[in-house]
Amino acid sequence: MKLHPVSIPYRGLSRGASVGFMLFFVSQSLAGTDAIPFALVGPTAVAIAVLGVAAVVAWEVAYYRRFEYQLGDDGLELASGVLSRRNREIPLRRIQNVDISRNVVQRALGIAAVDVETAGGGTTEASLRFVGYDEAKRLQREIQRLKRGAGGSAAEGEDGEMTASDEGAAAEEELFALATEELLLLSALSFDFRYLSLLAFGPAAVPFVPGFAELAFVGGVMLVAVLLVGLWAISSAMTFARYYGFRLTRVDDELRYERGLLQRYDGSIPLAKVQTVTLTENVLMRRVGYATLAVETAGYAPGQTPSGGSEAAVPLATRERVLGLAREIEAFDLPTFERPPERARTRYAVRYGLVLAGLAGGLFSVRELVGFPGPDFLAFAPFAPLALLTLAPVAAHLKWRNRGYAVGEDHAVTRNGFWDRTIKVVPLYRVQTVIETRTPFQRRRRWRLANVVIDTASSAGSAALAADLDRETAAELRELVGEKLQASLAERRSEGTDSSPDGTQGNARRD
Amino acid sequence: METLNPRVRLAWAIGAVVTAAFLGVGAAATDRFVLGVGLWIAVTVAGLALALGLVFVVLRYRVWRFAVRDDDLYLERGVLTRVNTVVPYVRVQHVDTQRGPVERALGLSSVVVYTAGSRGADVTVPGLTPERADDLQEQLRRLAIESEREIDAV
Repeated sequence: MKLHPVSIPYRGLSRGASVGFMLFFVSQSLAGTDAIPFALVGPTAVAIAVLGVAAVVAWEVAYYRRFEYQLGDDGLELASGVLSRRNREIPLRRIQNVDISRNVVQRALGIAAVDVETAGGGTTEASLRFVGYDEAKRLQREIQRLKRGAGGSAAEGEDGEMTASDEGAAAEEELFALATEELLLLSALSFDFRYLSLLAFGPAAVPFVPGFAELAFVGGVMLVAVLLVGLWAISSAMTFARYYGFRLTRVDDELRYERGLLQRYDGSIPLAKVQTVTLTENVLMRRVGYATLAVETAGYAPGQTPSGGSEAAVPLATRERVLGLAREIEAFDLPTFERPPERARTRYAVRYGLVLAGLAGGLFSVRELVGFPGPDFLAFAPFAPLALLTLAPVAAHLKWRNRGYAVGEDHAVTRNGFWDRTIKVVPLYRVQTVIETRTPFQRRRRWRLANVVIDTASSAGSAALAADLDRETAAELRELVGEKLQASLAERRSEGTDSSPDGTQGNARRD
Repeated sequence: METLNPRVRLAWAIGAVVTAAFLGVGAAATDRFVLGVGLWIAVTVAGLALALGLVFVVLRYRVWRFAVRDDDLYLERGVLTRVNTVVPYVRVQHVDTQRGPVERALGLSSVVVYTAGSRGADVTVPGLTPERADDLQEQLRRLAIESEREIDAV
């Protein structure tokens, strides 16, 4: 199969424009020097730019002519490359996610970019730039259909029968759609420091009168306020555009999501590839009973996608709803969490106290060494951190309260964080390694604590962490998770040999 | 539990000497161009670094141990932060043996075990005799294949 013909002019224009601009600027900056033997003025510069554009267009035509893809029973085959040719075959069983994205222009032209992710490697395994939108959807569907077929013929026969019944258009069941008020609430609640770089031009516009310390102080406060408001506005707008029209559906053993205002995303996550399910509730969301759900696979390299890994997320819904959806994906019960021992709480309080004391000491020595310019009321500023000492026990208690872990029949669950409370559900058969660590401070006889990290192949976010357990408990947990992994694998093996009664769930998860 | 070959201390000590030498040269350069207090500072820096490095070598050797258990490889290591890792054989993607120049000179070898995990993706067992390293590689490879069957790693 070929790419969509419109992709030649589209790629040519978008690439050609940038190359043309670059050549133009390079020639402009070189014009005054003797770096090149001829004068770069008027017609010559234009000629070079035109040549550059022509080369780009020729390249794109060659790229189009070279690019072939074929989806068969074995997998997706790609042949591409203008100068160095590359043939690649991706086995169906290894495909993790199939993502379709279309920006405004692409939507108008009816084309889409398709990315096929596998677990290996740092980059996207196959990216089709660009195919028709219908063709993109067909690929997504076909990959799912063929994958089930391939799994059935290779592993066991019963799968084939199963798929035979629901061949053709598989029923699409809507799991979740983001309502308008939820989208607005989500936008209003979002605050992302990563957009700080976008505000780099902001401070220049802020009125700032130098000379008077008070004014500088007020200016500083104003600057921070403007920054915060700006950041909030940008974060809200970004979140709104990102999650506009969010829909999560289930088609047999796959989740599909759609989202985006300007750039439209449309992806698939096979349930069989789910590595971790993450529930996040920040302080505000906990107050109003809302939560966020993220489904992690091994498909993406960290930070590769706009939302930093997991594309399949329910951005905001009531806690019950989120829990229900999470259970649909992984059948787990939210356990009663085992908190760290109480001495861990004492340790947090001591740690916060030491940090505050250190901060005060630092500020004090700076004042002693450099002197403190400004009015008298700021003279005690170095001791301000000490006033926060009363909050240290509270903070320690909150941190301790929100931490916990539990190991159930098939899942290990961890919970961490007060500001952004995160619950990670790890299917035990997904465990890759178990790592128990003890820092020098944790090892002190007074504390005797240890951390246990339950690592999966998930490419998004951090691994599940059971923090500050009693040393013996940690060692037990480490061994327990290892044993449970073996047990669940043994169970799966026996399930594979004798026919399992539970339909899609068992089939979906075996692969 | 198996301990490492005692000669690995020599390999690590050579590393410590090199690091100390680099730090000493750095201190000497800083002294020459910025401080100007005399060469003794470089000697002190190098000496301290070497002493610290050697203490670490001894401690690291004492802590390091591993066991080839029924279902997984278990390792204990770490001087300051102790790290105990469980690597189930089912999760092993591939196993390498490695021999750097220093290790070759000392007749040592390392085994590197790769998993698909995001955090402890590769685990190195240093300080093995070449025979033991080959044995271990072979043993791990066999155990990995045996325990895998048709289950997908990811």
